[in-house]
Amino acid sequence: MKKVLSTLVLGALVITGAFAEYPSKTIKLVVPSKAGGSTDTTARLFIDTAKKYWKNADFVVVNKPGAGGLIGFSYEQRQKPDGYTIGLMFTPQFVAHIVSKKAKYTLDDFKIIGNLAQDPGIVVVNAKSEVKTLDDLVRLAKSKTVTAAVNGIGSDDFLAAKQFEAQTGVKFNLLPTKGSTEQKTAILGNHVDVAFMNLSQMLANHKAGKARIIAILDMKRAEVAPDIPTSVEQNYDVLMTATRGMVIRNDVKKEIADKIRELYMQVIKDPDFQAKAKKSFIFLDPRPGDEYRKYLEKLQADIQRVYDKTPW
Amino acid sequence: MILLDAMQAVMSVDVLLAVVVGTISGIVIGGIPGLTATMAVALLIPITFSFSPLIGLAIMGGVYAGAMYGGSIPAILLSTPGTPAAAATALEGYPLTKQGKGGLALKVSVVASFIGGTFSVIVLLAIAPVLANFALKFGPAEYFLLALMGLTGVVSVATGGLAKGILSGLIGLIIALIGTNPMTGMTRYDFGIVELYEGVSFMPALIGMFSISQMLALTGERNIAKSDVDLKKIKREKLPKGIWPFIGYGTAVGTIVGIIPGEGATIAAFLSYNIAKAKSKMKHLFGKGNPEGIAAAEAGNNACVGGSLVPLLTLGVPGNTVSAALMGGLMIQGLIPGPELFTKHGVITYGFILSLFLANVVFLLTGLFFAPYFAKIAKVPSSILVAAISVFAVVGSYSINNSMFDVWLMLIFAFTGFFLDKLGYSLSAIILGMILGPIAENGFTQAMTISAGDSSIFFESTIAKVLWVIIVVLLAQPLFTHYKNRRQRIKAMRME
Repeated sequence: MKKVLSTLVLGALVITGAFAEYPSKTIKLVVPSKAGGSTDTTARLFIDTAKKYWKNADFVVVNKPGAGGLIGFSYEQRQKPDGYTIGLMFTPQFVAHIVSKKAKYTLDDFKIIGNLAQDPGIVVVNAKSEVKTLDDLVRLAKSKTVTAAVNGIGSDDFLAAKQFEAQTGVKFNLLPTKGSTEQKTAILGNHVDVAFMNLSQMLANHKAGKARIIAILDMKRAEVAPDIPTSVEQNYDVLMTATRGMVIRNDVKKEIADKIRELYMQVIKDPDFQAKAKKSFIFLDPRPGDEYRKYLEKLQADIQRVYDKTPW
Repeated sequence: MILLDAMQAVMSVDVLLAVVVGTISGIVIGGIPGLTATMAVALLIPITFSFSPLIGLAIMGGVYAGAMYGGSIPAILLSTPGTPAAAATALEGYPLTKQGKGGLALKVSVVASFIGGTFSVIVLLAIAPVLANFALKFGPAEYFLLALMGLTGVVSVATGGLAKGILSGLIGLIIALIGTNPMTGMTRYDFGIVELYEGVSFMPALIGMFSISQMLALTGERNIAKSDVDLKKIKREKLPKGIWPFIGYGTAVGTIVGIIPGEGATIAAFLSYNIAKAKSKMKHLFGKGNPEGIAAAEAGNNACVGGSLVPLLTLGVPGNTVSAALMGGLMIQGLIPGPELFTKHGVITYGFILSLFLANVVFLLTGLFFAPYFAKIAKVPSSILVAAISVFAVVGSYSINNSMFDVWLMLIFAFTGFFLDKLGYSLSAIILGMILGPIAENGFTQAMTISAGDSSIFFESTIAKVLWVIIVVLLAQPLFTHYKNRRQRIKAMRME
């Protein structure tokens, strides 16, 4: 009797285990950068809010930093397609690695859940600099060697600087740095003439009057800093935006993928999440799967063109 | 006036509790290799959002200060630095533990950490805005010189003779070449392994060479300490005479290096250690357990805590990864680094700085109280200890980047380190080369890019000139001693 009972219980356990509704175990959110960075904060805020909607789910952040996100992106692609790994990614690196043939994945390996946030590119100078517009910058670059700090080769900053060069015919003395802190110090300490960065990195310094952002590399002005003109307004067709989205493996079952998509929509519309993001200088930019996928495809084609001319 | 309000704010029960909880968990986190203050602060960011700003910051500040001290405990007792910044401490601390004087080493370490930490917070409180401008004067050329200054330490950390010391430093520099060339974006010596694109990760190398290679050596012994460890004796033991100037050197070096953005604490500790050796009257004891080395190194790394907050609070330029994470904690509370932090949000900002004083007091009391009990670890049988530490080493190496590759890396470093050590090469010089190589390279190539290939950029600024003088002084002394010893040896040989 005892034996029969235990078999029954065991059988029941196995069955509930197999058919247990997703999510029944801990979900990993893979962050392809260090703890404490902007992508990391986005992920942690996401989890904080996600728990409101999936009350029984457990989430954990797994940081896989290094090689401009490549280590993390590749890791996301190697995990089991069971829906318990959700990957964060950021552009343009996510597609740039495909273009430069460093990545072993392609866009087709992933289902795109959607974009979370964006951070437009900027051109920034020291507050005391005589450069006030992009025209000034071009004029200066034609009269002397202008040193421009970009965050590493192949980064969004680097691509923006290369676009600017191609558009205007000027040639910068490019200074690749390790991380945005080095760029910040270089601009604030007047060690370089100009830097290509992202809005969130310099907004506070711009507002405090220590640095001057002379252009936002976007179609429209930023809500948080309406005083800064865009590149398009200044008649320069140089556009660059870093985005941060979510992906899962392409072979995750459709039902599970739909659930994750639903969660993504719930979180990104949550007022509490929006308030926390705003304070952390995370500029939310909801773009669901298909729309974001089109953006990624176009971005990859654009980068391919730059790469074909000047590979790195 | 603001200061008084801030003091009142700090003296509430919940803020005090936050400091105590933060600091003690910081000590634990710092003491376990593989857990870092950066991770802990990042983990706290969304949680502290629901607290009042000061409580959130007090916990984070406590974790930061506590972890910086906590790293020294396993460094001294087990030659396993909990944080890279505690590597220099291990050089003197572990030999003392072997002599049964682990308790004394722990006491020196906690007192030095306290003084270094407290002084740097005073500096932060008093003259942060003035110092921020100094931080900005540091350009790539100055970074290169700072790295060069650190590299002079190769000569003084080396114990097996000058030639082998320099060779060890070079091995470190060569390992540092692995990874992406910062100027071209091309990868070097990576054998197509993605994990090596950003270079050999440092913590696994440190755990392998310092910790596991020592554990291998320990397998032949019954336990770490040769002599008995007496609880009562440790409790009564006084700090060694003449230790104070060495705490002073560390404090000064740490505060200055901390203010400069960049991974300061490890460099500050080694630089202070180096200066302590140059200044010491007991040079021959260095490497064999000289408390002066611990005093300088620990004061040095803890003084970086206050220093690194100067550019963070005034300019929004985080000095290292912990303060970068801290910046996230500030911003989510609506506190944006800059001048407003000291006026409009003065009560919170000054409250945060004051809570750092308390954090220093908390770890001082905790450290002094537990030192004798911790020291008992030296009598644990090797058969248990070696196994336990090895588990920690593997888990620690894995958890830094959640990477199995790092575990293999740690093991490779452990075995090569063991043999290099037996052959008389200096593992600390290798570590020093590994830390400073990338900083030197980055500074050098960036400076040369800015100056378009004109090397006079390394001599232009006043800071650069001062750094050159210090470099020459630091190099001259050990080289002179080496030359003198050689002459004497040759003379002695002729006499025979």
